Amino acid sequence: MHPANLVTPSTTAAPTIALQAENISKAFVSGKQRTQVLDGLSLHIDSGELTLISGPSGCGKSTLLAVLSGLQKIDGGRVLALGSELGQLDLHALERFRLQHTGFVFQGFNLFPALSAFEQVELPLNHMGLSRQEARERARSSLEEVGLSHRMKLRPSELSGGEKQRVAIARALAKEPELLFADEPTSALDAANGQMIIDILHRIARTHGTTVLCVSHDPRLVVHADRVLAMEDGRILSDQRNHAPVSASKGISS
Amino acid sequence: MVALARKTLVYEWRRFLPAILAVGFAGLLQLLQLALVLGIFGSTSLYITGSSADVWIGYPGTQSVGQGRSIDGDVESRILMDPAVQRVEPYIWVDGDWRGTTETGGVSVFVSGIDPRADGLMFSKALPPDLRARLAQPDAVVVDRSDLDQLGVGIGQTATINGHEVRVVGISSGLRALGGVNVLCSLDTARRLDSDAEDIGPTYLVAKLRDPTQADAVAIRLRGDTAFGPYTTWSAHHFARLSVRYWMFDTGAGAGVLFLAGIVFLVGAVITSQTLIAAVNGSVREYATLNALGVGVGALRRVVLEQAFWVGALGLLGASVLGVVLLLLARSQNVPVVLTLPAALGCIVLVMGLAAVSGLAAMRSLRAADPATLLR
Repeated sequence: MHPANLVTPSTTAAPTIALQAENISKAFVSGKQRTQVLDGLSLHIDSGELTLISGPSGCGKSTLLAVLSGLQKIDGGRVLALGSELGQLDLHALERFRLQHTGFVFQGFNLFPALSAFEQVELPLNHMGLSRQEARERARSSLEEVGLSHRMKLRPSELSGGEKQRVAIARALAKEPELLFADEPTSALDAANGQMIIDILHRIARTHGTTVLCVSHDPRLVVHADRVLAMEDGRILSDQRNHAPVSASKGISS
Repeated sequence: MVALARKTLVYEWRRFLPAILAVGFAGLLQLLQLALVLGIFGSTSLYITGSSADVWIGYPGTQSVGQGRSIDGDVESRILMDPAVQRVEPYIWVDGDWRGTTETGGVSVFVSGIDPRADGLMFSKALPPDLRARLAQPDAVVVDRSDLDQLGVGIGQTATINGHEVRVVGISSGLRALGGVNVLCSLDTARRLDSDAEDIGPTYLVAKLRDPTQADAVAIRLRGDTAFGPYTTWSAHHFARLSVRYWMFDTGAGAGVLFLAGIVFLVGAVITSQTLIAAVNGSVREYATLNALGVGVGALRRVVLEQAFWVGALGLLGASVLGVVLLLLARSQNVPVVLTLPAALGCIVLVMGLAAVSGLAAMRSLRAADPATLLR
């Protein structure tokens, strides 16, 4: 389906930069209290890699994901996604950017109870200006890719947690995004289903050349990531590349 | 295109049912009230709409048919001088006090003295020809079937009006009046029943034109001549409207209709918008996810509005079915109900407007569908 996007799993070729953050800061104000979540953080994420951001809850990893994906504005610094500076885009342009280039997978599956798995995947494609035929074709192949070809007609109430998350991944994948953001995609799932989700995310980065940025404190994800960023208190503590398997506990606290 | 709005409505019908019911009952309430008011107050212009006269001539300043004063009978010759007028016929209105044979007390009746000839203009549409012919008999009267109990008489029986004896020679239908009972008799009988010495001529003259479409123009042309004493003219259509409007607004019924429309709209909109808001809130994370994936806020708003539209349409459908059944039931029980096309359209506009306002209110809760909240 995506031969043009096929990227050979090579770590030697110089990768292009998909996401770049320069000296970004973000604070939340609640009443009189001001919490600095991100403080002068800089990083760049290479394209076609599965990058994992891990760290304890409240360390700012979800905020970093929101900022890098254009869901949240920053107070200072700048974010470049696929060469576009997100801070320069208005609300409408940001929506269009997300429509064309990004996919999201959330901790909750957020599926419409009334729609079948197939319709869940097809729905966002309807808004991308694809023909009906193409939208259906993409929805079908995405669901096949996550192993749900036989469950397409079922509604969320008839699917298990793992299957629901696979539908959510198919919904993001069908858009053929360059950037895929996942926020704690496995934390609501048991071990077997969690493992399956990890494998799928891994495969997406490998076979589609999609840049996958995943926020999780699930230690099982670490071994599958090309790169692991450990965060604490709004800063990046360690940045490791997974040429050799990293021990599940190193650099991770939860 | 995946029909998210409709599929959600069908799948989660329990959630939307209160809104559909609220819209439906709001529409039904308004429909029935309007039909009743139109039916009841429509009867105040029965004298005009049930007759085939094109122009009415009566005392200046008359506000409704029942409030006419006598005019000079010679006005007739003035009216006949106009080339557009084909025929003129007198109409006598007498307020009477009816005493039946059984113990009914005094019943206030509106006596209509009409020309009983077969081609008479007055009540030509409301009175069957055979009953009209019977009115030619001295002291003969025709009453409405629904008034028989109130009058305490049956066919062939006698009673008195203003002290004069009358005999019921026929029973008609569709002659119900507001605030009294209609009694039809011939012009001669009416003159005998009229106890007011000041009444020197007929209460009205009604005219048939050669070209009925000229009614408004002729009515204006005939006005303003005082040589035969005070009189004025109206086209039948204008006079009927005047009569209905007088009753609607001078009795406060019109204000009542508008007031109820307001209440119905308010209550319906509150229930419907609350239901739709709850539906939006129930799916707010899914909407936020779609927005994260780049589906614009405008498209999400359209989904909510579409849901509101379907809620309105389904409510309207239910109200229509139930409304038709209830209106037919009312007709069968001689309850005066009239549903005109403008009234029905008004109800549709009210109901769909209610749904639209509720949809707009529910759209506001989409602001909570901020995808950034999914990452906290």
